[in-house]
Amino acid sequence: MIGQRQTLLDARDRVTGRIPYTINLEPPGTLHVAILRSTVPHARLVRVDASAASQLPGVAAVLTRDDFAGSSIRPLFGPVFRDQPIVAMDRVRYVGEPVAAVAATDLRAAEAALESIEVEYEELPAVFTPQDALAAGAPLLHESFDDRAPGYADIVLQGQGGNVCNKFQLRKGDGLAGFELADEIFEHEFSSPPVQHVSMEPHAAVASFEGDYLTVHTCTQTPYAVRDALAYMFRLPASHVRVVVPPVGGGFGGKTYAKVEPLAAVLSKMTHRPVKVHLTREEEFVTNRKHQAFIKLRTGMRRDGTIVAREVQALFNAGAYTDISPRLIKNGGYGAVGPYRISHVHIDSYAVFTNLPSAGAFRGYGVSQGSWAYESQMDMIAEAMGFDPIELRMRNLLLEGDTFATGETLHGIRFPEVLRDATTLFEAGRVPPPAEDDGSVKRGRGCAVIIKSTITPSTSAASVKLNSDGSLQVLTSTVDMGQGAHTALSQIAASALGVGVGSIGVVGPDTDVTPFDLTTSSSRSTAAMGAAVREAVFDVRRQLLDLAAQQMEVDVTDLELADGRISVVGDPASGRSIAEVVTASRRGTLAGNGSFVTEGGLHPETGQGIASEHWHQGAVAAEVDVDVATGKVTVRGLRASVYAGTVVNPINARMQIDGSVSFGISQALFEQLIHDEGHPANSSLSEYALAGLADLPEVFEVSLIEDPDNDEMHGLGETCLPPVMPAIANAVADAVGVRIRHLPLTAERVLDALEEQR
Amino acid sequence: MSDGSEIFLLNLRVNGRAHRVPVSADDTLLDVLRRDLRFFSCRETCGLGLCGSCTVVVDGRAVSACLAPAFTQDGCEVRTAEGLEDTDDLHPVQQAFVDEQAFQCSFCTPGFLMSTVAMLEEDGPADVESALTGHLCRCGSYRQIMAAVGKVAGDGRDGTGE
Ligand code: FES
Ligand code: FES
Repeated sequence: MIGQRQTLLDARDRVTGRIPYTINLEPPGTLHVAILRSTVPHARLVRVDASAASQLPGVAAVLTRDDFAGSSIRPLFGPVFRDQPIVAMDRVRYVGEPVAAVAATDLRAAEAALESIEVEYEELPAVFTPQDALAAGAPLLHESFDDRAPGYADIVLQGQGGNVCNKFQLRKGDGLAGFELADEIFEHEFSSPPVQHVSMEPHAAVASFEGDYLTVHTCTQTPYAVRDALAYMFRLPASHVRVVVPPVGGGFGGKTYAKVEPLAAVLSKMTHRPVKVHLTREEEFVTNRKHQAFIKLRTGMRRDGTIVAREVQALFNAGAYTDISPRLIKNGGYGAVGPYRISHVHIDSYAVFTNLPSAGAFRGYGVSQGSWAYESQMDMIAEAMGFDPIELRMRNLLLEGDTFATGETLHGIRFPEVLRDATTLFEAGRVPPPAEDDGSVKRGRGCAVIIKSTITPSTSAASVKLNSDGSLQVLTSTVDMGQGAHTALSQIAASALGVGVGSIGVVGPDTDVTPFDLTTSSSRSTAAMGAAVREAVFDVRRQLLDLAAQQMEVDVTDLELADGRISVVGDPASGRSIAEVVTASRRGTLAGNGSFVTEGGLHPETGQGIASEHWHQGAVAAEVDVDVATGKVTVRGLRASVYAGTVVNPINARMQIDGSVSFGISQALFEQLIHDEGHPANSSLSEYALAGLADLPEVFEVSLIEDPDNDEMHGLGETCLPPVMPAIANAVADAVGVRIRHLPLTAERVLDALEEQR
Repeated sequence: MSDGSEIFLLNLRVNGRAHRVPVSADDTLLDVLRRDLRFFSCRETCGLGLCGSCTVVVDGRAVSACLAPAFTQDGCEVRTAEGLEDTDDLHPVQQAFVDEQAFQCSFCTPGFLMSTVAMLEEDGPADVESALTGHLCRCGSYRQIMAAVGKVAGDGRDGTGE
């Protein structure tokens, strides 16, 4: 039931290792794929010759651009612009871009055949940072922008030209003129590097064409978006494309929208065999990533500590293709205002093409980059103006009924409570002092608080089937990827019907069977899909009561449904079970439908409108030790607090916050993708540093702030990630007085900063 | 066996059953378990012996299957997560992982289980931390994992810290 600790329904399969991930699938006759990838960052593709490779033993097909000549298959895809080729057409735009792909009877044969494919490049000048890409005379990555995919009404396309992929802007109050009201103005630049999701299960898909029907099993977070992309690509009605999503081994945003599915599908079309694509870890690193960002933040302060004006100039590195950048820079743009009441706001946020792998959705969705800037600067301002950093925040935090930068009125706002809750970590004695005090280890404290939207407008639909034995199936396209979504939805369905979780079964994403859902991301599924499931159960419940009223020859308003029995109010003995009513009805099963649809959108010039159906609110307080001899930062204590509304399953709610914190510590201290002239320099887990068990703080607290009077559920999958990085940086500054504005805070970088300070 | 194409027959036991598998010199134990024998609890994440997700127990020791050349496993006794349970009951380590819900996506889970089993039943390292520090859980279920392992190892650790 809602609010109860519920072990995952498929826990047994998970501990026996039998959970059926996509990578386990291999229908009879499956061909395996190896991908030849570009070795140069930017080049005209002069020649791709696969004639020798296609003759090798075991090789069933080699896909190159030549296969699209005269074919009806559309070779480009992408959720917003269809600008990404399945294999390179006229150009390559990053090191690692697929140029050709071999399907063979076994993986070794496919890999071996790659060596026989001849490729000739004519190299072009390349750009790797948004600044260079925007400079006059920079080489252009794309000449035209004309193939917009339909859908995603919230995405406004503007500002394209040169290497600008998209622009978001917001003007509130008097905009820049608002700085005239400021007594002091602070201006700083902050940067975040690109990082990778490193979901432990890589991208994988098995595609199989049978006649004009295409079936794809894939570990995507967006089954319907993948289905629609494939239908368009192959000029098939959507009814001929079926996308099935088995349990997913971690997503974190990296598995949104089509990724490897088009390649598997084209090769299946060519070979009439099932085709499996299963990326290597090295390939994962060039497949999708978090946007590198450079954010210039100018903040106008009144002497009393009121923020009056804020200007945000944000450059997000989109990499070579659009992916979902236009939405991400929008959310990252207004998100960079922070959870503060600011009368005058001016935001320009750009996604910029460069010759690096495409960036896309990543847990935190642009908010991490923005809050890294504004929550770092908040402490810098507090120090410069002589305020306590917590007090300065409290003075400016948004309150219930306030207006956000987008002009929308905020409800369900708990920022002061959330921040105060997090900072209880600092109460005396909570975090033990540094073990040895020879003066080389300094202790510091820092906090951060963030606001994050959820994707709006959005749609989720669900169906339920009530069987004649009283059990209920929930049909949902929500992807179970470790967040426990299906278990939470079972709890919601069980509560709505008044039965135990044991009689609920969940049918996961299968676009032939389960109704539409926009995406499993944006921390939305428990709230949005939960609402749809509840409505579907109410639909079936109404039918059930009507049938019972007929059968019992009473008025339906006299009936109640509790504990799986329907009875006349006040006369439990009159009752009959759900099973009895359904059976007696001779309907076989009762079907119910429900949906949850939100509205919103922002004005293209002013950014005013509705950005989010509700707002995620999180804060983190951290205590760190900094070893001044080595520069090493150790997080000793951390408390993450989040406004949760109603919690469905406290176990999974807490675990998602644990996960966000471990992501945050990893990004604060270690993670960054490094390139040398566009060549990835750390595409393996031996070179790409990640936080592990040993990096978690010994005092680690998670606090879910609930509202017993409000049954609104707030997503919890991301909210506590963005504040981790600035909270740690603020604690480092508090400990040793150095301010690092560029993530990550590696020991080397801290040591350099300490040396500079001396 | 230099070009990796030579085939020979590998004899090994997995979860108590004998198998004979043709392997080539560049096959790893992971290839044999997943590709040939379909023990899907053995999963590759890094392929470098760094993440623990491919851990199985070989002759009593926790081993990274991604690094172990198949041909060196001849005559070995391999245990995977699929072989831990009795007909009806989960192994105590598995049960502890369920009770503490020590996973989110659970991709890492069999590796953690097998290292724990090696530690408790065989002659692995004596303390939990050194047995498990090499394991990556990207979902960040570490506290619950430590609680589960602590429970079966009897050190009474409370992973949630609350
Ligand atoms: S896959 Fe073997 S240790 Fe990582
Ligand atoms: S539970 Fe997902 S990686 Fe550990």
